[in-house]
Amino acid sequence: MRTGALPGLLFALVLAGSGFVLAGCGDREALTIYSGRTENLVGPLLEQFAEETGTAIDVRYGDTADLALLLAEEGDRTPADVFFGQSPGAAAFLDKEGLLRSLPQEVLDLVDERFHAADGHWVGVSGRQRVLVYNKDMVAEADLPDSVFDLTAPEYRGRVGLAPSNGSFQDFITAMRSLEGEGRAEAWLRAMADNDSPTYANNNAIVEAVGRGEVPMGLVNHYYNERFLAEDPSLPSRNHTLADGDVGTLVIPSNVSVLEGTDQPEAAEEFVRFLLTEEAQRYFAEETFEYPLVDGVPPVGDLPPLDALRPPDYLPEQLADLEGTARLIAESGLD
Amino acid sequence: MGFRVLVAAAALPFAGPFLYLIIRAAEGDAAWEHALRERTLGPLWRTLILGSSVAVAAAALGTAVAWLVARTDLPGRRIWAVLLALPLVIPSFIGAFALIAAFSRGGLLERVTGIGGLRSVSGFWGAFGVLVLLTYPYVYLPVAARLRALPPSMEESARLLGRGAFGTFRTVVLPQAWTAVLAGALLVFLYTISEFGLVQLLRYDTLTRAIYANRVIDPPVSITMSLILGALAIAVVALERRLARRRPGPPRREGRALVVPLGRWRAGALGLVGGVVGLALVAPVGVLAYWALRGLGEGASRSGALVTNPSELVEPAINTSIASLLAAACAVAVVLPVAYFTARGRGRAGGVANAVVVGGFALPGLVIALALVFWTLGAPEPLASLYQTLPLLVGAYVLHFGALALGTAQVAVAGIPPALEDAARVLGRGRLRRLVQIELPLMAPGLAAGAGLVLLSAMKELPATLLLAPAGFPTLATRIWSSAEDAFWADASLAALALVAVSGVLTWLLLIRRGRAVA
Repeated sequence: MRTGALPGLLFALVLAGSGFVLAGCGDREALTIYSGRTENLVGPLLEQFAEETGTAIDVRYGDTADLALLLAEEGDRTPADVFFGQSPGAAAFLDKEGLLRSLPQEVLDLVDERFHAADGHWVGVSGRQRVLVYNKDMVAEADLPDSVFDLTAPEYRGRVGLAPSNGSFQDFITAMRSLEGEGRAEAWLRAMADNDSPTYANNNAIVEAVGRGEVPMGLVNHYYNERFLAEDPSLPSRNHTLADGDVGTLVIPSNVSVLEGTDQPEAAEEFVRFLLTEEAQRYFAEETFEYPLVDGVPPVGDLPPLDALRPPDYLPEQLADLEGTARLIAESGLD
Repeated sequence: MGFRVLVAAAALPFAGPFLYLIIRAAEGDAAWEHALRERTLGPLWRTLILGSSVAVAAAALGTAVAWLVARTDLPGRRIWAVLLALPLVIPSFIGAFALIAAFSRGGLLERVTGIGGLRSVSGFWGAFGVLVLLTYPYVYLPVAARLRALPPSMEESARLLGRGAFGTFRTVVLPQAWTAVLAGALLVFLYTISEFGLVQLLRYDTLTRAIYANRVIDPPVSITMSLILGALAIAVVALERRLARRRPGPPRREGRALVVPLGRWRAGALGLVGGVVGLALVAPVGVLAYWALRGLGEGASRSGALVTNPSELVEPAINTSIASLLAAACAVAVVLPVAYFTARGRGRAGGVANAVVVGGFALPGLVIALALVFWTLGAPEPLASLYQTLPLLVGAYVLHFGALALGTAQVAVAGIPPALEDAARVLGRGRLRRLVQIELPLMAPGLAAGAGLVLLSAMKELPATLLLAPAGFPTLATRIWSSAEDAFWADASLAALALVAVSGVLTWLLLIRRGRAVA
């Protein structure tokens, strides 16, 4: 840059910058949504809401846990009205901070009681099922287990990938603790660690490693493999649903809450209702391959219907004790 | 007196994140007891090991390639000079994922060439290797800038006295470039200890990974660990300040730069530079290109997919450029007074200002963001209304990356010959006119190099961007992240390639084309 061009460029930048500031300040009335679900997945649906209801929306997409921390730091000065998250664990964290507002009973009644908080502080929107992803070139279908408790046997030594620091895995362990008992969950974690189960950063990393053949199997949420196969149909990774009633078939609800700090509770509630309409539920079934949680909307593709699945009964309150779960995982030796 | 106030005003905001951590730690009383148990000591130890080993290796590699492109007749060194800087713009979480997909068992390399991949890319060696490849530019850029500013006369004398190329390098070049090497190695260390996405992916349990693992589950422990990380950073910064005597001889660029003939070493040197560019740039970019092309071939039915509508990348690319250019300009302007203060005087106040500015680079972006939330929302009205606007985002970048501009700015300030200043003073020039007419032009290459480092880092910044950017302000980094999060690899790759391309163009325009600050 020759002399004189730099100040010009800086001036232009400052002008552009102040334009953005003014634009940012303009929309104080908009419904502000903090979304731990990504724009790829839910962006079109949120736009549909804005169009149909004529509500202006500001959406902040981010990591579910990071957004929960942000809300805790903002407290009652939050600009957000709604929190839309991936994991009941994060909702439980916000609930403990006293940041969530009760939803009306008729909204909660739209989903099974397993999929909303009893105090109405969050309601499930779509379900993601836990599965065992496996490499079909490395594991014969006949050798697939029925239960996660089979995976501690010697024939699975070093062959099952886990993601101990991942929110869904932690939700799964929390459910196991309450359904099967603290002792059994602890013993399972230790046995998996003793069985040299390799660990990964997240669901993506496990599915990718299974596809490559680095590890033959892994415990993940069902829809990651659907995505990988959509990008590369030649991959040998397949989903295996464990036996009915096994804790390994847990359905984890994504969830939505209205925040205590909202200045427009009506619009916020309208948004929650919208997510539970047949139209929105159909969107989750067809576009994100997730389980619709409202009665009457079937899942698509190879997914077994939610009723036929008979996932283990649990109460959502049992998904709240993340701290105990984290301690158990840390002490088991998995990292 | 006025100058001291200016320095204090410039340095004070950098203390904000540390003060935030202290305030939060004081609130959650029992956390020390938890945090000091072995579950902190293990990660702390691993953090030290990884940070120092990556810093040493990146320093060696960065210095070697800087010397090769700045001082030798390496074929194509103009192009190598640009390519060697570019790995800096690859966000570590996607770079690491691509390198795993390329080199591990059953990976792309194995499928294409039939050569078996590594058993697995993970743990210490995985993290070490990938980090060295992605961070050596922190050493390469300042060292290359330093070498270009150095008078070649001493090297020429050494050569005339019969020293070989490498003897000259050891006895003449290295001592002169030493402060730049050390400053770069410090940045690599601080970057490594603050890094989360990469160590998480490669499963190496550092302090930052523990901070993230506890952030929702046990926030007080997470806060205390962040404070320990900050204290470690400040201690290392203070140590580096003692080791580095930033009193290099005044850079006088007299005539043409020295060109050392490589002779029989030419093939080996080409192999080294080519290997570094191959592993750190071509391999990850190649994997990304493969995923992108596969996706472009397949197409996608969902709305908003980048593979069917790549023009969706234009807005994020513009946002990324605006925010990071502003951050680069502001960072240089803010740290310049601090650089004057710390490069000249060696007093305690200078040491403190230096430590808080540089230490900010070691804090995870998430911590910087939460600290800014705390201070902004707690501030009186005109300031509080900046919450989640562009100025706040730029402020976060400046706090996080100001360290990158400070090191080169200090070297630039120290390089102004005092005699020149005295002459100007005698001739009655005012302070401001002296700065604008005499000193700034002299410092321009060094300041530009610092601005470039800030620019490239801000472009790929993720956690603070997600939390603090204005609503509806997508950047290339946030597009990469959200696509990768959902395993839309083709989309993630397209956005990442766009990031590399935009960074390359901006680096070229701002650094290479002008003044040859880097190349």
